Amino acid sequence: MIRQAFVLLLFSIILGLVVNLFHPNKIPYIGEYRELSAGEGPIIPPSASEGDPPFIAVDVAQMEHQMGGTLFVDARDSMEFNCGTIPGSINLPFDYLPAENLAQHIDSSLGRVPKDKPMIVFCSGEECDLSLHLARNFKGFGYTHVSIFFGGAREWEKFGLEMERRAKCPE
Amino acid sequence: MPRIISNDYLTLLVRLVLGGVFIYAAYYKIVDPAQFAKSIWYYHLVLGQVINISALILPWLELLTGVALILGAYYRGAVLWVNILLLVFIAALASAAYRGISIDCGCFKAAAASSDSAMQTIYRDFGYLVLGIQLWLSRSRRWMLANL
Repeated sequence: MIRQAFVLLLFSIILGLVVNLFHPNKIPYIGEYRELSAGEGPIIPPSASEGDPPFIAVDVAQMEHQMGGTLFVDARDSMEFNCGTIPGSINLPFDYLPAENLAQHIDSSLGRVPKDKPMIVFCSGEECDLSLHLARNFKGFGYTHVSIFFGGAREWEKFGLEMERRAKCPE
Repeated sequence: MPRIISNDYLTLLVRLVLGGVFIYAAYYKIVDPAQFAKSIWYYHLVLGQVINISALILPWLELLTGVALILGAYYRGAVLWVNILLLVFIAALASAAYRGISIDCGCFKAAAASSDSAMQTIYRDFGYLVLGIQLWLSRSRRWMLANL
């Protein structure tokens, strides 16, 4: 019995490691997960209300970022975005979005992103609620997998995670 | 030991049910290993360095175990794994529930949305464990590839 169990395990190890080499959704064998604020939970603003998209902590954001497959959306203006953002993010400045035809504008800004694409919306940090407003709109327009990283770019940087800087900016 | 436990038809039925469940559970995890790795991460039980390796190997172990149960090849080893894996799943779910971690169990569709609560999933896994114990105790060896 033990021998049979060992054989099954051995074949599982071989198949798991070999199939991943040719897998269209292959993952690295060693994940670069970081112990950040695990257990502390996400920052949730007082203005949050029931029905809002879920809030996530920095450790979840980092895990989703390194796993790939999730679209990070920076809701700040382009200057702040260029000064430093989460690598690979796209910029959708909430303050500059048109009041009319907002749904179409968001759809076209996001390109051909499917409605069930996992998305994490963020802005600067706790003093900024652009991410909350943008995420509410995403949800209202039918995007089903939207989360809010309310700690934002500041918390990301505070934990020593890599920032993408497109412009030199004053401290 | 009650005779019903070693009934050939009952044993075959349980093999097909448990084997089918394990194959079904493995399928989505093999198709999308990243989602399954995320599911494991949410439990905060596995070291970060071995999360991805676990996410790659565990589904294949489930698949081979399921296939072995149905075919009746490497049967005792498969029965052992079924019971070990179910105990591990129950312990992980119970640990997450105890710590108040809100998780999708990652049982069948990796990290896809699931409305099952952790407790519901634990009850379901206990049900499967009862079936696993039946296979453990059953002496029936009919309709097994190893006997052909």
